[in-house]
Amino acid sequence: MSVLPPVRRDRVIAQMPPCFSKEAALHTKEEFHPKVKTACQEQKTGTVGFKISKVIVVGDLAVGKTCLINRFCKDTFDKNYKATIGVDFEMERFEVLGVPFSLQLWDTAGQERFKCIASTYYRGAQAIIIVFDLTDVSSLSHARQWLEDAMKENDPSSVLLFLVGTKKDLSSPGQYSQIEEDAVRLSEEIKAEYWAVSALSGEGVREFFFRVASLTFEANVLAELEKSGSRRIGEVVKITSNSSNTKTTSKKKHPNCCQ
Amino acid sequence: MALQTAEEIAEQMEESEDILEHDVQVSPAEEMPGDGPVEEESEQLFLPWDRFSAWLHCICVVGFDLELGQAVEVIYPHHSKLTEKEKTSICYLSFPDSNSGCLGDTQFCFRFRQASNIQPSLGCFLDRCDRDAPVCLKRDQGHFYGYVYFRQVRDKSLKRGYFQKSLVLISKLPYVTFFHSLLKLLAPEYFEKQEPCLEAACNDIDRWPTPTPGKILNLPIMGVVMKLRIPTCYDKPGTSQLVQSTPGDSLVSIVLPTIHEVDLFRCFYPVFFHIQMLWELVLLGESLVVMAPSPSDSSDTVLALVSCLSPLRYCSDFRPYFTIHDSEFKEYTTRTQAPPSVILGVTNPFFAKTLQHWPHIIRIGDMKQTGEVAKQMKVKKLKNLKTLDSKPGVYSAYKPFLNKDEDIIKQLQKGVQQKRPSAAQNAILRRYFLELTQSFIIPLERYVASLMPLQKTISPWKSPPQLRPFLQEEFMKTLEKAGPQLTSRLKGDWIGLYRQFLKSPNFDGWFRNRRKEMMQKLEALHLEALCEEDLQLRIQKHTEVETVDLVLKLKDKLTKAENEQLPVRAGTLTKLQTHIESIILSLPEDLQGILHKPATL
Repeated sequence: MSVLPPVRRDRVIAQMPPCFSKEAALHTKEEFHPKVKTACQEQKTGTVGFKISKVIVVGDLAVGKTCLINRFCKDTFDKNYKATIGVDFEMERFEVLGVPFSLQLWDTAGQERFKCIASTYYRGAQAIIIVFDLTDVSSLSHARQWLEDAMKENDPSSVLLFLVGTKKDLSSPGQYSQIEEDAVRLSEEIKAEYWAVSALSGEGVREFFFRVASLTFEANVLAELEKSGSRRIGEVVKITSNSSNTKTTSKKKHPNCCQ
Repeated sequence: MALQTAEEIAEQMEESEDILEHDVQVSPAEEMPGDGPVEEESEQLFLPWDRFSAWLHCICVVGFDLELGQAVEVIYPHHSKLTEKEKTSICYLSFPDSNSGCLGDTQFCFRFRQASNIQPSLGCFLDRCDRDAPVCLKRDQGHFYGYVYFRQVRDKSLKRGYFQKSLVLISKLPYVTFFHSLLKLLAPEYFEKQEPCLEAACNDIDRWPTPTPGKILNLPIMGVVMKLRIPTCYDKPGTSQLVQSTPGDSLVSIVLPTIHEVDLFRCFYPVFFHIQMLWELVLLGESLVVMAPSPSDSSDTVLALVSCLSPLRYCSDFRPYFTIHDSEFKEYTTRTQAPPSVILGVTNPFFAKTLQHWPHIIRIGDMKQTGEVAKQMKVKKLKNLKTLDSKPGVYSAYKPFLNKDEDIIKQLQKGVQQKRPSAAQNAILRRYFLELTQSFIIPLERYVASLMPLQKTISPWKSPPQLRPFLQEEFMKTLEKAGPQLTSRLKGDWIGLYRQFLKSPNFDGWFRNRRKEMMQKLEALHLEALCEEDLQLRIQKHTEVETVDLVLKLKDKLTKAENEQLPVRAGTLTKLQTHIESIILSLPEDLQGILHKPATL
């Protein structure tokens, strides 16, 4: 058995965290979906399998994708700019409604040079975070293109979208309200949830990622409940060490996601 | 006696260790060094590419140039060093060497001698990783492995009409299943998207945790996360410890149940009537050649042969795929000497002639034509081995020492009839080999453990006691009461098998390793005993010269303990350091200055 250390206390989610703006939210309910709550309650003892969701972070060069992630995952902020080569990766572990849940955060490079390989990294995402710079209108205008590219590799019906403005600390109030208006409008159009944060001060960062974790978890459990019908979630595969079916499932499933 | 399960055997092995512990307080597996803080420290010390080099030496792209033939087109990272000789080897070994179809994508593996001795900057850290790995999974000291993904497809836009290219991972780690899975993710992307893909992949790899045995490792690559666990030498043989996550995760996360085990049943299927004899041949380090129709068949079969001895390490050279261009070609094929103790996998028909004089030859037909198997029950006579058109089978004049185990053959045959999944057949076969090897090795383990001196003979003021020598006849006597008959119901000439084994490179390698472990344990116990002494009291009774001598000796021991990672109890080394410090402080000031200088600089 692999024994993972317990989830950090400040990564435990028991309540649905609030959205940032009611006008541009994926939903505004204050609670987790009742079905999700029941499913988690009933099987608190660990039959709900170990869950993972893949999240990709895209957006223009130097809008602060890596900084956003570093603020949340490592609680650090580096003023120096270091371009991401290819892609960065962080795994963040949560406990949502008593169930262990991990977010794979794929932080892709904004550089043109790596655009050709980006599609490889986009596959199988359950959430897409499109990042723009609140002080740079052009980065917002590119958001749609980033979304299109990322969507090519994914199933639009099952992906959650987030549009996040960064560098809130740098924008003047006038500039901020103007760009926010545009961002909220875009969010409504593409059905994304809008957030504005500052990785420098940390404002909104934790709240944002908690929201991402909660909504992807909720969607993940709902999808599995739907798929398994009457079966209880997590029962699909027994935890066995070297049985043959573990091998075949992981091998067999994989090619599907690459096509 | 009923056939015991692997677990029971493992338990017995543990029990025999317990007995040993009781006598002399020795157990190599006593404590897994818990090194939380140390590790975090060293994590900070990694330079760019250090993490990458812990996994791979480099990645090569080998293409076909109309004028030059095979050529290494790209080496990544660009600063990686390979000698010209190594590059030549990689070139030839990365392509099929006979005109066997191989259309489409093919994966195989090769192994070649390292020409230069490049030490990675984190060598000492890697040694520590290696210490906890099972013998079969340690870094290969004098060789590199090459893991190949070869693509050959029609392409009318090219002059030859074919696109032919190999992506090759060069590493010292024998994690064949892992690297093949990695290549499956990486190579198709590379062929499509070229260099940025390699750059990004290498960057991914350079952020991986180091290959530390026993930990669950999450390795992000090309948009998915590979999850695996490198076994440790403390694991119970025959068990796997990785937890499978929910199936939905397989889209973003690939769980590898094993990093190194090949599908034994699939590999041995063409010759499965002879598996027990093949096990003997490998155990005794006999010269063996596998003639196969493709590099993947050849490398799979050679790796299966080598791994059927597990947990014992096959100590002679083996080449999963060997070509006529290999730098050891002359050395290995010469007729002026007896064939060397090696296992070669070949595909070029030319070898049928070159290696005609070899004592044991396995011919494997096209793996896809599996219907024929049932007929090849007899070992074929060597003189019947003509060149190209010989039938698949095992050609040898060897008389096995042990009687044939008909049960395993029947069990496997039944599986074939009932269409049992290959994975289940593989598990049965793997367990069979494990039990066979363990039954064979337990008496040796037990005897060698008895060569350890008793704890009470360790005195801090004398050199550590010596191990008693290994006496063949003494060992043979132990077999009467505690031989393999305790754990195996197989009859036959076990004594003869042991006599032959004791002459083989596999015994030599195994014994050296055991001996080294035991001597290190003795050193460690000696060191612990020293730490418990009142050194202040002792130096009061001695002259200054003797005290200085003591300090120098202790410093020497400390350095050795650190370098060799002696299995000492936690805190021992710090304690020793404190002892040294306090002795130095009790000496006159001028001497203190001299002795404080670190001896290692």
